[in-house]
Amino acid sequence: MVKSLLFKFQEKRQLVIAILGALLGITFLISSVHYLNKINEYGEDSEILGKNTLIVQKKVTSASSLGLTKTDFSNKEITTIKKELFVEDVKPLVSNNFRVWFETNDPYVPTFKSDVFIQAVSKEFLDVKSDKWHWNEGEKFVPMIMPRDFIVMLNTFMNANGIPQVSDELAMKLKFRLRISNGKQEEWVDTRIIGFTNEIASILVPENFMDYATKKFADGDPGKITQIMIAGKEGKFGDLEKYMIDHGLESKNSQVVVSRLKSIVGTLFAVILAISIVAVFASGLVLIQYMQLLLSHNKYEVRTLLRMGMHPKIITQTFLRYFIQVFLLILTAGFVCFLTLKFFVDDIFQTGGIYLSESISVFAFLAILLTFIIFALASLRTAKREVLNLFNK
Amino acid sequence: MQIEFQNVLPKPLVEIARTSESLWNSTVIFQSGNRILLNASSGKGKTTFVHTLMGLRKDFSGVVLIDSKNTKSFNTYQWVELRQRKIAVVYQDLQLFPQLTVEENLKLKAELTGSFDIDFAKNKIEFLGLKEKWNQRCGLLSMGQQQRVAIVRALIQPFEWLVMDEPFSHLDQNNTNLCMQLINERCKEINAGFILTTLDANDNLNFDYEVKL
Repeated sequence: MVKSLLFKFQEKRQLVIAILGALLGITFLISSVHYLNKINEYGEDSEILGKNTLIVQKKVTSASSLGLTKTDFSNKEITTIKKELFVEDVKPLVSNNFRVWFETNDPYVPTFKSDVFIQAVSKEFLDVKSDKWHWNEGEKFVPMIMPRDFIVMLNTFMNANGIPQVSDELAMKLKFRLRISNGKQEEWVDTRIIGFTNEIASILVPENFMDYATKKFADGDPGKITQIMIAGKEGKFGDLEKYMIDHGLESKNSQVVVSRLKSIVGTLFAVILAISIVAVFASGLVLIQYMQLLLSHNKYEVRTLLRMGMHPKIITQTFLRYFIQVFLLILTAGFVCFLTLKFFVDDIFQTGGIYLSESISVFAFLAILLTFIIFALASLRTAKREVLNLFNK
Repeated sequence: MQIEFQNVLPKPLVEIARTSESLWNSTVIFQSGNRILLNASSGKGKTTFVHTLMGLRKDFSGVVLIDSKNTKSFNTYQWVELRQRKIAVVYQDLQLFPQLTVEENLKLKAELTGSFDIDFAKNKIEFLGLKEKWNQRCGLLSMGQQQRVAIVRALIQPFEWLVMDEPFSHLDQNNTNLCMQLINERCKEINAGFILTTLDANDNLNFDYEVKL
């Protein structure tokens, strides 16, 4: 009865306009939060390198070939890069300064042996579980991350010997070993593959193992640092890229392309997100204003109900419930619009060769929840204030 | 329930001339169960009295006590309790909802106070000659008819005092008598008193004593 009294005779044009505005805002808000998150996640699952991480080396030029310029990084250069605002962290990629052979050590696989180049990476730069990425002297296996090209080469060898090729999963179950030597002494260590990478051409081993081998086979001299790993700050790839161009640095092209793509699309969705927040905020304000207008139009009814003995809380709750229902309707409709939009946008991305995971980002749900909480609190505050004003008059 | 006005003087009435018998700026006690007439000419503060008593205006000096409690210290719950269960009011402007029917107006009040008895309300409406108006919107009724609906609405809630602000101003003598009969019966039934404000020295009204404004 009270609901019918307060809402049955309202002029709904402004409400409809506010609902449409909020619906558009919510749709774009959910969409931009979802895609911003998905773009940031893009490529993370398939790589063992941490996000926004590049392996950088100096460009090899004619001058460097003639020995006029250096291709290695000094500690001072590394410190300078680390101080840049767009850089999260920098660490050298330590290479072996001794000889290493990689060979199969499994009864099911014929002997395969090759000279290899190993590098040590700080585990902060790797997206692998830390319990897998550790080694201490005396431990049975050295974990390693293989360049995927190496498996292709191994499979070519298997094929040539009439042995079935191995998948990534099977390769991780096979036994291998590394032979380390400096010409005077040598050592064999068992090793296991724990993952693959497309980004690095060398075999990656834990820092502890590299330190151990360097100490034992290179008299503690780690050699020159020709590559460094840079973790850029979120959304600052443009600055990092400019710095690399200005300072004659380069990275593997695919890494740059993905990072550039993520940076551009991320910026685009960030702009849409900002516009959506403004749109949601503005339409939320219009809805709140509409509530004030409705209270003002129903001033006589509200005041009379209060004079009859209705508790202000009940009237406040009636208005709050009504507007929460309206907002829930907007959120539901906005979510449906987002799902429809997602269907087309995902298709566009896939046509362009970008396969984003199809699950809906948890941040999109959080955005919905946060928007709802803010609106509910603003509505409660407005209804309470207006009704109490009438009660006290 | 005892109502006491101690030196109450609303701001708008400060400059108005008063007699020594006036309720304003003196102490007047309304004892439970009494039938009291507040008789005064226009502008003497009849409506102000009702609004002051019901907490609708607070711009007055002095103290209003209800069961020895200062109304200025009342919280929201106490005012709600007073309006729902202790004092029923027929306001001068009636405070009906014109877009609702007679039945809906009565039902709304009864639901609010948890006292709705449809037969009871319908009988009262019939008694006052408004049987055909039961399903008609109040906005379409004459002022006299609306006054009768407002009186019935006040009577169907629980109360210890019935306060009426010129409730018969648009009624003929016959309808006034019917209303008074209904009011007296109801007050007697639940052992309540009433305060009735009127412009005229109405000899036909049944009351215990008169208070001047």
